[in-house]
Amino acid sequence: MKRYAYYLSCINESMTKEVDRSIDLWQKDLGIELVKLHEGTCCGGSNLDYVSPKHFALVNARNIALAEKLGLDLIVSCNTCLMTIRSAKKKLDESPELKKEVNDLLKKEGLEYRGTSEVRHLLWVLIDDVGLDTIRQKVKVPLKNYRIAPFYGCHILRPSTVLGHDNPRDPSSLDQLIEALGGQTLPYNHKNRCCGFHTLLVAEQESLNVAAEALNEAMDLKADFIVTPCPLCHTSLDGYQEKALKHAGVARSIPVFHISEMVGLALGYNAKQLGIKRHIVS
Amino acid sequence: MTVPTDQHNELKKDVTFSIFRFNPQVDSKPYFDDYTIPVERGITVLRALNYIKEHIDASISFRAFCQAGICGSCAMRINGLSQLACTAQVWEVLANSREEALIRIEPLRNLPLIKDLIVDMDPLVDKMKRYSNWVDSTMPEASMGKKEFLISEGEFLRYDKATDCILCASCVSECTILRANKAYVSPAVLLKSYRMNVDSRDAIHGQRLAELVKDNGVWDCTHCYRCQESCVKTIPIMDAIHGIREDAIELRGLKDTSGAKHAEAFMSDIEKKGKLIEATLPIRTNGVFWTVQNLLPMAVKMIMKRRTPPPPPLVKSAKGIKIFRGLFREMTEHVKQDHKSHKK
Repeated sequence: MKRYAYYLSCINESMTKEVDRSIDLWQKDLGIELVKLHEGTCCGGSNLDYVSPKHFALVNARNIALAEKLGLDLIVSCNTCLMTIRSAKKKLDESPELKKEVNDLLKKEGLEYRGTSEVRHLLWVLIDDVGLDTIRQKVKVPLKNYRIAPFYGCHILRPSTVLGHDNPRDPSSLDQLIEALGGQTLPYNHKNRCCGFHTLLVAEQESLNVAAEALNEAMDLKADFIVTPCPLCHTSLDGYQEKALKHAGVARSIPVFHISEMVGLALGYNAKQLGIKRHIVS
Repeated sequence: MTVPTDQHNELKKDVTFSIFRFNPQVDSKPYFDDYTIPVERGITVLRALNYIKEHIDASISFRAFCQAGICGSCAMRINGLSQLACTAQVWEVLANSREEALIRIEPLRNLPLIKDLIVDMDPLVDKMKRYSNWVDSTMPEASMGKKEFLISEGEFLRYDKATDCILCASCVSECTILRANKAYVSPAVLLKSYRMNVDSRDAIHGQRLAELVKDNGVWDCTHCYRCQESCVKTIPIMDAIHGIREDAIELRGLKDTSGAKHAEAFMSDIEKKGKLIEATLPIRTNGVFWTVQNLLPMAVKMIMKRRTPPPPPLVKSAKGIKIFRGLFREMTEHVKQDHKSHKK
């Protein structure tokens, strides 16, 4: 059983509880154990970095230091949390002064940021550590009748100087996961585009246009569902779907799954167990 | 999926260029023309286009000038990605191509099309004017030319990378928000605005910033990083956008615009609970009226699915929040000290 520290994203503790619930169901089936970091705090969601760069460094040095204290890599299942924490890590690793300033504060809590734990997305762990062969062997209910549109989202791909796992122009990890689970991955042009989530409250019309475009292409491809590794993309594409499509004058709909639910379905868990019934679009 | 690289070890091969064509004066709709030509390894897309224009079809229109990645004239979408034709190597483009020996050439997005691969840059120039993308000098006109206007190396380093921009508009073409709203300021203009705003010789910093925080301005960026990823000069454009936001918050406060209020919520929630209090985020960003008018129908559905975020008192604080809050507040004191010494 390979152990990892697991970062609790704010949205997965409120609106998208089904993400952590579904991971809890199958993690041991795939030989991984995620140790939840209840002391962890909000990463700043791609906002704290410009409101106060030093608080941003402190908060995320602490999030990583909690994993380092356990001697484990930090695993994240939200794209924006991933990008944010990895950005902070890059800044800390490049600036000994910032690292010292932050560590002088952290030692009051018995913590130290050393830079020894990697910060990784759950999708990367599934591909690189668990491995596609193991996943294929564990599949009980292959997704063979499903046409699936892979929506990667931005912050698992860009900026590539911070992320660097997939080619941001033509990512493949999610496609590989879909295929390993027996599903049919579709040539989806919006796979590496944006869902519009981060401006839903400040430029709503633009965000709805962005979401509608992504939804429309998936429906044009006759996808059975969209799958995404990010709960924020899910909120934009599922939660705001009706509004986005109404705004675009479209009278169709398409379900949107988290990767954790898609894995769970293939491993034999049912929609109720996985929390799929909590989605707005069924 | 890409074609295996060993297929690209040849020194010469036939390559098909599928080129977007549209002349609004005669065509009812756009179409693609395919031209297959022999291409040697080391040839750029621009040289291939020049060959096609000179030897096969003189009617194809595209802009090009320096042929050295300096002037920014020849930006176009090559296999879907906005970039300069004069620095794009045919062999490298093919190595990342979905189809063997085929390169698709299209005009930039998000700007009006004039003909074939030529777009109208005027909307971008108009935005540069609206956001005063030049240094309006603090030096009186009478003193100009009589004394040097020196800046420190430290200051120059703040906008060194931003000055590399050649206005090729690749970032404009890739921008998510511009695609959804043509009035949006655009990444290139935000980058230029940042570059002018951090220049100590400039006199209209406040005026420019006031324009940038209005609707269609800096707060409408959705942090997708497509601009930065496509920049032909690898300029960290998002750092410039974040730089303008940081500046706006420092000078104009956290309650100035809905974007600033939204950003402020993260700071205050992390200090209070260590967690984001999502239930009240729309109200804190846009007020009660907007929230009721825009989100009520969706909120009802979310309640039915038990998907609503918990009300503020029920948001569980991160474990050990008291010690964390102490550290957070100590950092606030550090930041205050930094600002004081910065002002000195």
